[in-house]
Amino acid sequence: MNIIETPVQLAQQAERQLPSAEHREVVFDVSALTVSYGDKPALKNVSLEVYRNFVTAFIGPSGCGKSTFIRCFNRMNDLIPSAAVEGRILYHGEDLYGAHVDPVEVRRRIGMVFQKPNPFPKSIHANVAFGPRVLGMTNDLDGRVERALQQAALWDEVEDRLDESALSLSGGQQQRLCIARCLAVEPDVLLMDEPASALDPISTTRIEDLMHELKRDYTIVIVTHNMQQAARIADMTAFFSVEVDEGQRSGLLVEYAATPTIFTKPADKRTEDYVTGRFG
Amino acid sequence: MSIAAANVPLQSGRKRGVWRGRIFVALLVLSLLVGFVALGTLFFDVLSKGVAYVDPVLLTNSPSSDPAVAGARPALLATLYLGILLILFTVPIGVGTAIYLEEYANRDRWYNRLLELNIQNLAAVPSIVYGILGLAFLVRGLGLGRVLLAGALILTLLVLPTVIIAAREAIRAVPSSIREGAYALGATQWQVVWRQVLPAAIPGIATGSILALARAIGETAPLILIGALTFISFNPTAMGPFTALPVQIYNWTKLPDPEFKALAAAAIIVLLIMVLLLNAGAIWLRNRYQKRW
Amino acid sequence: MRISLQEELDQLEAALQEEGALVLRALRGCLNALGRQDAELADEVVAFDDEVDETYVAIEEGIQSLLARQTPVAIDLRNVLAVLHINLHLERMADYCVTVAKLTKLVHDTPPDETLAEALEDMGNRAKEMIQAALDSFANRDVESAESLVDMDELIDRANRRVVHQILSLSADPDLREWGLRMLLVSRCLERIGDHAVDIGEQTAFLVSGQFREFTDASH
Repeated sequence: MNIIETPVQLAQQAERQLPSAEHREVVFDVSALTVSYGDKPALKNVSLEVYRNFVTAFIGPSGCGKSTFIRCFNRMNDLIPSAAVEGRILYHGEDLYGAHVDPVEVRRRIGMVFQKPNPFPKSIHANVAFGPRVLGMTNDLDGRVERALQQAALWDEVEDRLDESALSLSGGQQQRLCIARCLAVEPDVLLMDEPASALDPISTTRIEDLMHELKRDYTIVIVTHNMQQAARIADMTAFFSVEVDEGQRSGLLVEYAATPTIFTKPADKRTEDYVTGRFG
Repeated sequence: MSIAAANVPLQSGRKRGVWRGRIFVALLVLSLLVGFVALGTLFFDVLSKGVAYVDPVLLTNSPSSDPAVAGARPALLATLYLGILLILFTVPIGVGTAIYLEEYANRDRWYNRLLELNIQNLAAVPSIVYGILGLAFLVRGLGLGRVLLAGALILTLLVLPTVIIAAREAIRAVPSSIREGAYALGATQWQVVWRQVLPAAIPGIATGSILALARAIGETAPLILIGALTFISFNPTAMGPFTALPVQIYNWTKLPDPEFKALAAAAIIVLLIMVLLLNAGAIWLRNRYQKRW
Repeated sequence: MRISLQEELDQLEAALQEEGALVLRALRGCLNALGRQDAELADEVVAFDDEVDETYVAIEEGIQSLLARQTPVAIDLRNVLAVLHINLHLERMADYCVTVAKLTKLVHDTPPDETLAEALEDMGNRAKEMIQAALDSFANRDVESAESLVDMDELIDRANRRVVHQILSLSADPDLREWGLRMLLVSRCLERIGDHAVDIGEQTAFLVSGQFREFTDASH
């Protein structure tokens, strides 16, 4: 029987093997981010750091701006004409909204999976191959498709029907297909906006297990309105809430800490009210 | 739950409501019948008059003053050519405009709003106005003369608004989630349109185009106005004089000889068959490619 | 499925087994100190308890974190609760080892009564067997093996009674009598260690069957 050397290691294991603060690598450094639609602020003054190979979850009541926030990371808010972003997000030290930054390149490195699975009305193979094709990564296309499907834990189920329509898959399979689609372009970060909220419990568990595997190679940021899900899979959790200022509702960051802390001894009372279900 | 509610019988006591429902349904059926009866009478009339004259002679011979050997071949060919040219012109222009309006145009700009308004209006303009327009600008202004090409161009202008509207609907029907998914993978706007939106919208665009074509081949007024001549015995060419099937029908009905009227009925049957085939094709296309999002 | 929950449960159980190994080490240490009347070894045993305590706290925190985040149900919940209780029992056992070591230090220079010393060594060995059996039965989810702990405990209890009897018939030498008194407490500690081992067996049965029951009533 092995006798461990230091019980401190046990404590670390209990903290889900989070590396200490000095060893964490910062992927996103957000400072004073404010997002407004027209003149209505949706999210005010958010600052936090997202760490490499962590699963970071954003939780909070509806309307708190967490979806707006996550869409800032891959510049999807650019597609909404009235959206205005102030403040700064650094991605590996580079300003994501800098003048010379190409949103297309941003989106290659930072992929996104949406709430409702949105496979293209094409074959399974064409779905996964779409990203590499539009980005010019056409060498070994079949190999890329297979690897992506393997990583998304879908390969075994579809390997003999790659030419069938993607719409013939079940909801859970479609969502894994969307994940494979993102992985095919070899991103650095995966953003997931409520990826399992449209799925049944078994599919949800599979997606959560998948995230647990994927975080070894990718950095994952997830928005979820199901805080138990955040509790299960996230390493770091950010709690957002709504504040009402002169009739305007806007979102703000209340607390950001390691997940065990948020769910056992949160620092802010608002956080505690939310996670214990006494909110509102 | 109160005891009183439990004792209410299941049979409905609302007799008046039931009768109102029945009268409403009867009125609906009546309006349906009006359309059917009118259409049916027309069909029957035409069929009874013309079916005897539907034969290869009609389709292969040129017009002649002798009804026994008169045929509508030049007119038929002209209608066919007009149709082909129509598709060649309207689809690129119509789809292009629709793509611009749906994907690229900023709705807040005044010129885009003006464009949208105009398209809606143009779809409602009577066809004879297009004839006058064509006469003034194409036949005389551009100096094309009274040729098939001019006829095709006028018909293009006539159905273009319809095609644009149909294409816009088809493009709008593509869910924004598809676009978002494509953008999120790093596609440029052009790639999203060309590789996702258009392929998904093609069934709708095709259906709309075929329906527009079916309408156009029945148009008479503008073609007459630009001089679709009545008596052509040679096959038409793009830059030559021409006639079209509806015009041919129109002129045959004007002739006093009752045999020509029967011939006209026969030609109507041919025209109807063409239109029916086109419409059926459009419906088949739509059903085959109906997307379940 | 539920990979992270399973991983955490496995980690907690592994930590528990490690703690069990530490407790066995402590017991061996204090028994050796007792047998050899070695005061220095006794001091080491006392210091060693800090390691057991650290492990105990770490497992406690791990359990709290797991309950908060994973909301286990059914067998997973029973698993966590069993680990919680066994953690407590192991820590208490380690504390008894410390007590034995301290008692050893108090009378380490008194020549022992051989018969008594042998009897205590016997009890100590039984206690070691019981701890090992308890940990193994939990690891293997073996209810039969857990229930056999009751019989092993009976042996320790009998040995305890014999020791008491023996102590009462010691000579009137005051040093020896003090030694006997201390050894009475040592015997009591070893007997309590046995009881805690039975408690661990009860947790194993609870985990498997879903029902908590005492293996024997309190009257024995």
